[in-house]
Parts: sequence; C-alpha cells; structure tokens
Amino acid sequence: MHRKYGRSVLAAALATGIGAALVACGGSSGGGASSGSGAVSGGAYSGPAVTISFWNGWTGGAAPVLVPELIKKFNDSHKNITVKDVPMQWGDISAKMPLAVKAGKGPDVSVAHGDDLATYAAQGLLLKSDGIVKSLGYTASDFPAGVFNAGHYNGSQYAIPWSVTPLGLYVNKSVLKQARLDPAAIPTDKASYLKSLDALKAAGVKGEWVDGYVFTGTFEFESLIWQFGGDLYNKDVSEATFNSGAGVQALTWMTDLVKNGHSPANVAQDGNWNALVAGKTAFNWNGVWQTTNNALPKVEWAAASVPQIGTEKAVWSSSTHWIFMNNKGQDKNKTAAAAAFVKWMNDNSAGWAATGELPADNTVRNAPSLLANYPNLKPFLDELPYAHYETVSPGISAANATITTAVNEAILGKKSPKQALDDAAAKANQLLKQNKSQYGG
Amino acid sequence: MVANSALAPLVPRGTRPGGRGVHRKNATAYLFLAPFLILFCVFVLAPAVYGLWISLHIWNPLLPNQPFVGLENYTQLFTPGSLTSGDFWESMRATGIFTVASVPFLLVIPLLIAVLLNQKIRGGTVFRAIFFAPYVLGVAVIGVIWRYLLDPQLGVVNHLLGLFGLTSDVPWTVDVPWVWISLVAVTIWWTLGFNTVILLAGLQGINKELYDAASVDGAGAMRKFFSVTLPGLRPVLSFVTTVTILASANMFGQSYLITHGGPGHATRTAIMYIADEGLSQNQMGAASAMSYVLFALLAVVSLVNFRLQRDKSE
Repeated sequence: MHRKYGRSVLAAALATGIGAALVACGGSSGGGASSGSGAVSGGAYSGPAVTISFWNGWTGGAAPVLVPELIKKFNDSHKNITVKDVPMQWGDISAKMPLAVKAGKGPDVSVAHGDDLATYAAQGLLLKSDGIVKSLGYTASDFPAGVFNAGHYNGSQYAIPWSVTPLGLYVNKSVLKQARLDPAAIPTDKASYLKSLDALKAAGVKGEWVDGYVFTGTFEFESLIWQFGGDLYNKDVSEATFNSGAGVQALTWMTDLVKNGHSPANVAQDGNWNALVAGKTAFNWNGVWQTTNNALPKVEWAAASVPQIGTEKAVWSSSTHWIFMNNKGQDKNKTAAAAAFVKWMNDNSAGWAATGELPADNTVRNAPSLLANYPNLKPFLDELPYAHYETVSPGISAANATITTAVNEAILGKKSPKQALDDAAAKANQLLKQNKSQYGG
Repeated sequence: MVANSALAPLVPRGTRPGGRGVHRKNATAYLFLAPFLILFCVFVLAPAVYGLWISLHIWNPLLPNQPFVGLENYTQLFTPGSLTSGDFWESMRATGIFTVASVPFLLVIPLLIAVLLNQKIRGGTVFRAIFFAPYVLGVAVIGVIWRYLLDPQLGVVNHLLGLFGLTSDVPWTVDVPWVWISLVAVTIWWTLGFNTVILLAGLQGINKELYDAASVDGAGAMRKFFSVTLPGLRPVLSFVTTVTILASANMFGQSYLITHGGPGHATRTAIMYIADEGLSQNQMGAASAMSYVLFALLAVVSLVNFRLQRDKSE
C-alpha cells in the first residue's frame, strides 16, 4: 500500500468525515435498547408475511454452500417468512453494522462473535432478547456451560448461542513414530507431554513450536492461565489480572519450550501449523476449525483435548451467537419472524459441524449421529465442560490486544514473562478505564 | 551556463506565464479547474477541517455523545505515560526508521537503473517492463508472497542461505533488526519501478546536445553524470524525493502483512497505529489528533526538502 496510501492522512480524515456524517443522519436512536420481543411462541411465527434480512460472515469453507441450502429449506417450509441471506466478511459486518442499524437499514438478525456482543449491546445496536429467549424456551442448560452467559450484559440477555470453537491439540503421528513414540498414546497431562517432548528432542524434533500471535499463541496462553487457576480480568472487568502468578506461570511454560529446545526461537504466524503439516513438528495447539484444513488429508494426524499443564482442566474457546438488531423503527413482526428462524436454524444445525465449528445446541450436538459423521470432533466435544469463553465487556478487544503483545514480546525474548505481562496489564487497565468512561456499564 | 537555457522547459520558474493577456487566460483555466476544485473541497478540504474538529473531542462514532475536550487529545500525545503517547511515538519512530532506511535506496537504485536503461541497449524495453512489473502487484499479493519466502523456519530464503552454508535461521519476519531489512528490501523490490520510470522520462528530457558539448569539452562519463545528468534531473528528482518520502512515511501494508507490526510493536508504523486507534478502537478523536501531528511533521519535511532542492537549482 506504499503508493496507494500516499494520501492516507487525508483519506483517513475523509473516512472520518463521511462516517460521522452518516451517524448524524442516523439520528439519536442509540443509547438504551427497547425491549421489543415480538409475537413469537415456541418458534412458530403466525404474523403477516415478512422478508427478513440476515447478515453473516460465513464466506469460507463449507458455509457458502451450506447456508443457502439451509435458508432455502427454511423459506420453503415457512410460507409467511422469507429470509434474505447477506454474507460478507466479518470485518465488513462490524464496520457497517453500527451505522446501518442507527440508520434503520441494518439486518433483522445477524451472527456475532462472543467478544463483540457486549460492545454491540453497549452501543444500543442489539435488542434485549430475554423475551425471545423465553418464548423460544431456551435456558442456559441448553448450551455448553458458560456460553449462554457470554451473551449476558448489564443484566440482560442479548444473544442466543449458535456455535463454539475450542482449542485442541493437533498431532502429527508420523513424527511421533520417528521418535519411537506410540502414536496412539497422545499425552494428556504435563508429565506425559514433557516426556513426549523430550523423546522428540532426542530424535532431533522440536516438538511444539510456540508463536507470539493471536493465532494461536494467545489462545494457548489463555488456556494455560485458566489451567493454572488464574483469569484474564477481575469479575467486573475493571482490572487486568493476566499478570498474576498464574499468568506468569502460563507464559513461562511457553517461553520454557523455546528455552529448553522444544520450539525454535522465532516462529512466524502460522509457522507452527505449517510445520505440523510439513512433518517438522509433532504438536500444535489450534482451533477446531483446523479439522477442515485442506492440507490435513495428506498428513497422518489426530486431534486430542489440550493436555492439562496446570492444576485444573481448562481450554480457550470462541463462540458465535445470534443477535437481533435494534434498527431505528424495527418492525416487531420481523423480529418475531427472525426468532422463529433462529430456533429453526439451531434445531437444524447438525450439518454445521462440516464447517469445523461445534453446534452450540446441546440436543443437536450430543446426538450420536454428529460424531458418527464427524469423528474428529470427539476430543473437542469432550473439552466443552471446562471451556472458557470470551470476556464479556464493551471495547474488550482493545485490552485483549495487549495480551498478544505480551505473549509476543516474551516468546521473542524481548522481555521476561513477568515484565511483558506487567507492562501489558498496565496498558490494559488504562484501556479498561477508557472503556468504562465511554461505554459505562 | 549552457544548462540554464536548455533546461528552461524543465524548470518550474521557466514555465510560469508572464505578460499581458494573462487574466483572460486565467479565467479559462479556473473554469476548467473548477470541477476538480469542487471535488477537492468536498472530499479533501471539508473532511480535513472536519477532522480537525473531531480531534478536539472524545469521538467514538458509535456512541450518542461526543464530548468536547479541547486540546486534550494533543496534550495526551505529548504527556509521557498517557494511554496514547507511548504507542504513538513508538509508531512514529518505526515510521522514521523505515523512511530513513528506504528513501536513499529508493532514489539511488532507480536512478542507476534509469541511467542504464537510458543507454541504447538491446531489449531496453523488456528490462524496463521487468523492473516495473512488481509495482503492478497489490500490497496484499507481495505481502503474502514475501511472508512465505521469508518465513524463518520454512521459508525459501533461509533454505537457500542454508544451501550456501550460511546461517539458515535468520528471523526475517519476526525479530529486529531483520524485520527492517525485510521491509525495506521488499519495498525497494516492489516500488523501484515507479521511480525508475519517472526518472527515465526525466533523463530522456535532457537535451542530447548537452552531452555532445560536454564530450567536446573533454568530460568523461562520471563528469557528464554529475555535471549534466544530475542538474538536468533536479526538478524531477525533487518531485520523486518528495513523493518517495511521503509514501515511505505512509507505509502500512508491508508491516501489516509481513511482520504484523512485531516484534511487540517495533514495526507498527504511524498509519497502522492511527488506523487501529480510529477504526478498530473507535477513538476517532485521538486518531485524528495523531493524523494532524503526523501531517504537520510531513509538511515540515516536505517544505525543507523543496527548499533544499530549489536553493541548489538557483
């Protein structure tokens, strides 16, 4: 973008100007969300015929085929509801959503990642969905532990879970065999994991390459801090706690992998995954989405639950949720129809496993047919009872970015784990304060 | 002495209109310029002024209220320990390092190539196309390609170094100072064609007779380069220098894609940080203030640059 961004300063100012102008046009519909629950009961919609607009970021993998099929099926079986599928990049959705909703041109229903929910809710973009949840008959126990509450903000429910995507341990079995390790005995705890790493090292293989990037060094660090009994933030998310003793232990475990010769010193982003696929390393902590990676069929691989390095079982997971938009002048019938659509989608989400995500609906996910069709997902399903989801707090992604900086600096040996985490926590605390002053809550 | 008259068409001063009848001509000129002027006002001037206004507020476009805070966003930038100052100046430092490291190469190498291409050599057009070719690629393409080639463990570059018995674990995309070498080298490879073509056009505008005259006076190739070529290129070089400095100071894509701003935030440029602050974190007020500080610095650099080059040509 060297040349083309030659006028970035002006362009940025320009974008700002247009953005602000659009907000102005949108009027002052923000702030407190009204609680339009619509007339919906048990997932059936009996109002007048409506067309509802559905924004989603499902543009890759199996989704572009799967989603239109599902929607066609829904439209064919619901005479008075027509769902309009609007797929676009996730980044575009978060960029367009606020202005569109405030101008009354947003979707009626959409899907969002767990860490965006509170930010959306604080901006008044979402309808409170307590009423919808009740009429659809959902409770927290219909979903994996903790994921329903990831949609809870400031005393209200704003979302219904759709999918979860935990981290797991990917294993290159051929590499294990090279080190004369039993490919069927995948390590599950600290002792067995270290034993495997040592055996691999003796065979000249660096067993787990750690990186200092969001994908997946940050996810590994977060899994480990929970395993050591710590947490990223305090209860009301007013203070960062990832620099606690548990945090330092977690990050030190990762830097020790480098120090003890189990990982190269300077792994680039995705370098560890590429190394696993290329047979240069044995283990990689990565998300369930990688089960659909095109390179895997050529590899003799297995997935397992992440080993327990700390004092308790824990693993990082992301989640996606259904949200109902608080458009300026939102039609209650459309919201009610959207609720019926959401219920139907969750009920019919078994096929969603093909995209490398786990359906959140317990009934669907626990049906034996799911594992029969997708046996690779077993270790990820096993992890759900102890999975941790994204922190619920508006503007949290800015604070989360400081964690990645700390992991990066520590892994590259720029700072000690403690120093890196302390510096990041100081920064995160400033950001949390800024978030509180701007979003309240 | 001869140079002055021959170079007249190239020197801005020589192209300035003078004498009577100018006013009527000016009116026509303004008429033709008017459409652009309107576009400029609507899409550049007005947003720029609006940006100045935004920079005086805590401006989160997603929230209903944008409280006025006066110059706070600016004073924050100059207050050590504030939320933005550390990150901002670190990003300015990254921008500075990249600019200082890349601009000399982006001027000297294209100049040498342009001089070579300006000889009547066989296949000159082909070479010109070859040098220009990378420039037509988008930053996303070159970013992804080089990220793979420069991967510390799995990349082709380190593999080749290893074949020659050299160290094969250079962290090209991961650690300083290697990241700077990678970013500068990739940028040179990518954009030198642009400067080359402009300088080549400048070379072809230099009157051939000057070289003949210099030869008659007994000047060698070096003397001709420094006494005829360089002075003849001065206006073009001045333009190329300014544009190159601005472009380097606005570097974004290479860092974003190849090094992710790392290690830590060492290669996160000012534009990267401003974009993150304004568009990801929705702190438009602070981001606008940063843009204006960057703008002010670039304006000073450009003015100094123009002044230096003009003084020499007079």
